[in-house]
Amino acid sequence: MEEKKGTKCCGGFLAFVLGFLLSVVAGWVLFPGMLYSELDQPIPFSHKIHVEDQGLTCDSCHFFREDGSYQGLPTNEQCSGCHSEVVGQTQAEAKYVQEYVQKNKEVPWLNYQYQPDNVLFSHKAHEPFECTECHPDVAKADKAPKYYENKLSGYSKQTMKMWQCERCHAENGVSNACHVCHK
Amino acid sequence: MHAKEFKIRWGMVIDVDKCTGCGACMVACQVENNIAPVTPEVDAWAGVAYDASNKLRTLNWLTVYEINNKKAFPEYEVAYMPRPCMQCASPACVPVCPVVATDKNEEGGIVSQIYPRCIGCRYCMAACPYHARYFNWFDPTWPAGMAKALSPSTSTRPRGVVEKCNFCHTRFQQAKDKARQEGGDPNSLADGAYNTACAEVCPSGAILFGDLNNPAHKVHALAHSKHSFRLLERLGLGPQVYYYSKREWVHRLGDNYLPNEKKA
Amino acid sequence: MGLDRRAFIKFIVGGAAGTLFTPIPWKLADDSSIWSQNWSWIPRLKSGAVTADATYSKLCSAGCAVKVKKVGGLAFGVKGNADNALSQGGVCPLCANGAQMLRSPARVAGPLKKDGSAFKAISWDEAEALLADKLKGLKGQSGKVAAISGDGSGTANEVLSGFLAGLGSSAYYYMPSDQTTMAKAWNGIMGGSGQIGYDLEGADLVLCIGADIMDAFGPTVRNQKAIAAKRPIEGDKTVTLLYAGPVRTRTAAVADTWVPVSPDGGAAFALGLANLLIKSGKGASLGGFGEFAELAAKFGPDAVEKAAGVKTEALMTVAKALLMAKNPVVVVGSGSGQGGGVALAAAGVALNALLGSLTVLPEFPKAVSHAPDRSGLLAKDVVAWLADVDAGKAPTPEVLFVYEANPAYALPQAAAMAKTLDKAGLLVSFSTYMDETAALADLILPAPHPFERLDDAQSPYGLGKATYLLATAVAAPEKDCKSTPDFILGLAGKLGVDLGFGAFEDVLKAKVQAIGADWDALAAGGAFVSDRKGSAQADLGASALAKAAAAPKAQGTLLAALDHLNIGTGALATPPHALLTVRDTELYGKDLFVQMCAATAKSLGVSEGAKVKLTAGGSEITARVALNEGVMTGVVAAPLGLGRTAWDPFTKGKGDNVSKILAVSAEPGTGYSVWAGSAVSVAKM
Repeated sequence: MEEKKGTKCCGGFLAFVLGFLLSVVAGWVLFPGMLYSELDQPIPFSHKIHVEDQGLTCDSCHFFREDGSYQGLPTNEQCSGCHSEVVGQTQAEAKYVQEYVQKNKEVPWLNYQYQPDNVLFSHKAHEPFECTECHPDVAKADKAPKYYENKLSGYSKQTMKMWQCERCHAENGVSNACHVCHK
Repeated sequence: MHAKEFKIRWGMVIDVDKCTGCGACMVACQVENNIAPVTPEVDAWAGVAYDASNKLRTLNWLTVYEINNKKAFPEYEVAYMPRPCMQCASPACVPVCPVVATDKNEEGGIVSQIYPRCIGCRYCMAACPYHARYFNWFDPTWPAGMAKALSPSTSTRPRGVVEKCNFCHTRFQQAKDKARQEGGDPNSLADGAYNTACAEVCPSGAILFGDLNNPAHKVHALAHSKHSFRLLERLGLGPQVYYYSKREWVHRLGDNYLPNEKKA
Repeated sequence: MGLDRRAFIKFIVGGAAGTLFTPIPWKLADDSSIWSQNWSWIPRLKSGAVTADATYSKLCSAGCAVKVKKVGGLAFGVKGNADNALSQGGVCPLCANGAQMLRSPARVAGPLKKDGSAFKAISWDEAEALLADKLKGLKGQSGKVAAISGDGSGTANEVLSGFLAGLGSSAYYYMPSDQTTMAKAWNGIMGGSGQIGYDLEGADLVLCIGADIMDAFGPTVRNQKAIAAKRPIEGDKTVTLLYAGPVRTRTAAVADTWVPVSPDGGAAFALGLANLLIKSGKGASLGGFGEFAELAAKFGPDAVEKAAGVKTEALMTVAKALLMAKNPVVVVGSGSGQGGGVALAAAGVALNALLGSLTVLPEFPKAVSHAPDRSGLLAKDVVAWLADVDAGKAPTPEVLFVYEANPAYALPQAAAMAKTLDKAGLLVSFSTYMDETAALADLILPAPHPFERLDDAQSPYGLGKATYLLATAVAAPEKDCKSTPDFILGLAGKLGVDLGFGAFEDVLKAKVQAIGADWDALAAGGAFVSDRKGSAQADLGASALAKAAAAPKAQGTLLAALDHLNIGTGALATPPHALLTVRDTELYGKDLFVQMCAATAKSLGVSEGAKVKLTAGGSEITARVALNEGVMTGVVAAPLGLGRTAWDPFTKGKGDNVSKILAVSAEPGTGYSVWAGSAVSVAKM
């Protein structure tokens, strides 16, 4: 009777450890992949072509407007300055011109840092920081990074969380009052 | 309660003697802050149409009250009093909030309200003596197509949360950005660089807005005029909204003096 | 080792415990909390550059110079245009709704043709062909084609009236307003030319008799700005504002003095003042002064008290203030912005002439050369014409165009007028919205919203200087609309009527050139202001005035209809966002409220909240009583603009239409249709 119990105990412990290990592995290795859907930008955009080949600077497309607001992702208004017609050889560009410029439709770019409507983020106030402290460094990339969309919340994987904003504010001695970031 | 000190105190001086009660400010406020017109269909199940022809369940961050001297014809006089949130120095609404969805902690002294955090308990509404807070009885629904372009200044709020005037706070942020862009000091905005939608639209110039602490702003001196008063001043909440009138009865009504009571 | 039940449970427990050391529970809890805030059923904001384009918003009768705010190219709001001389950054409560009204649920989506009791969508080409066919046979027949316009300032009127003239018809009418009454007085009875203006900017005293300048009279935003500029919040007031009328209106609320004057006593009050001014040595260089002085002498203080209910002392105080002032200006009108007597208008001109402050604005040159003169058209009487049509004294129009107007709702005795309008062979409404007239029409040819079209305004009535403004299309079209003057020009081309232009833009360009203004500056939101003065040569018209002023006083309870801009105009029902500004004492739920003071209520045997029936002019409305000591004894005040039968759920069936009980009568001496201060019977229900 006692022996039996002991064996069971031992075998049971193994089952426990096995279950424990399996779920830890699943949680760290499989879960992140399952939580996000991997998406591509609607138009494969090459920063490399624009920066290295055409000599554009970052603020040719991403610039501050006169009122201090920020033109994040450029719209057709900016892009069609060059791309009113097909000017290069890539398929992506041809698609952009045909599907968006000519149809006067904006490209539904996927915003890696998308924030909800109730967040007010001022790029102007954060101008002293390097863009890449928050954004992926794409200046030399030939391909836009993969976009990971959280299947549950719908946000981008890179969307900054409130605690991240607050931590940086606190570290830099900036107010963490609600209205500093919310509207 | 100890009031927090701020270097900047955004405030209003409203000239009651100038206000004609036209209502343009109320419309501009709704547009700026994405306040949906309560549609008659929304509450059809209750058998009662709680639309804006019945103000029981509407949201008016800014309400123009009509007050009178309670005299009979022809001595009767009226005055119109636009009532935004008073942004009190010691707000009654803030300490009662169980979830810190409302706070007065930002430079400028504007009482904030964070909608996703609000649980809709409405303690703040009960606490506010100015009835400046409103509850979303319904989800915001605009007539079909009208919401195609909403004001980018204020997020839309769902049913079940409280909201109130925030002095068009996003305009404060925009003014600061503009100052930074132009190389100015965002913490020392010029008079008029930040203005609320109601003050901007007012055809009579009855609503003046600015920093009460800044002598370069018009409201600074006006707030100290002997003709200025604050609503229910004796409650000691320290509103940042001043009213200006040369009519004695308006002053007395502003603080609920009894007919024979001597005014302090 | 086999997997028995116990081991399996332990495996599961181990798995569960292990999960706690992975991100799974924490990440899921976090993400679900974010998900719970997604509120997918609530509209999202649009992002993009915020821009503002200047234009002239003609949603209110006089119009406001505004900037249309856009986000990512879509209009979402309106702000004032501080650089514009007319509005100086202010916006009226109607124009503040401009962007929302672009997407109003009441908008007509495209051309509609009545098909039985419903409407059928047709194309613009079909509409044009249909009208051309109908009009071809009517060319040259007098009175068979008619038009009613509600736009008192636009050049579109030249196109429409010129088109009618080309078809051989002169039946072009304007909706009644203070402007038309004044045109009848100044351009008709008194034989003057140009347009009467009011130099509020230069005045140190403004006396409003009836005219609610802060709410319903003329360009209210400019009026408010002009008065406010002279009354700085601290410092010296340099203008005195006096209001004379039966109700403590919004003008009276901010006036230095309110002189209660009975709703039909404005002319007597004005003549009483004229009498006192003449007695103190004031004179006027206008023709017929002697005769006028004789007439005014009949309005001594006692006579004024009898006719207008104004005490001698109050009359003397006002007269004294007028005499003491350096630049006094008298603004006359009806409290409801319509239906006032020609006598009051003429007396107002006389008062200003006596005070040396008569302002006449010159007319701008016409663009459409064979269009009839504006002032002549304005002086016509649409109400009398429709009464004649109804009585068979005037031909029933085969085609009746309605432009920027809603006569089926907004004319006095509205119900009867709507019946007469319905008699027209083909009632064509150019309304942007499904208003009461459009609902009645046989053909709806929707005009674009003011932000979607090219339009203009020449000297909106009430200004002190000749002013020209341009409205440009600043918002993308939301519906399948067509500019009315452009449509008419196309139609004229088909019918062989040569108006000299093919497109409305060319008409306006010619206009701008003719007046010597700069198109680009106007299109950028500027106002062209001319310092030129019109001729002040005229006759005081005392003989007609004498007959009108001698009219017997109306008996019983008098109705003072009130026009509040926030409730809307005849042509624009309360916008969804403006409904919030309508007071509980005007509308509560579906009940209209009429105001009266406690003494009046007592004599009528009603109390606060009582349901009453108001009857006049062969029609009745129901309302509740709101006590308001700001209404003169013996007077019932009622807001216009409610009780819509068309439009949208925000306005339909809310309250009752006070226009129904505005009883029309012909003014003795002038024959003009008047209804301000008409009698009403109030019965408890």
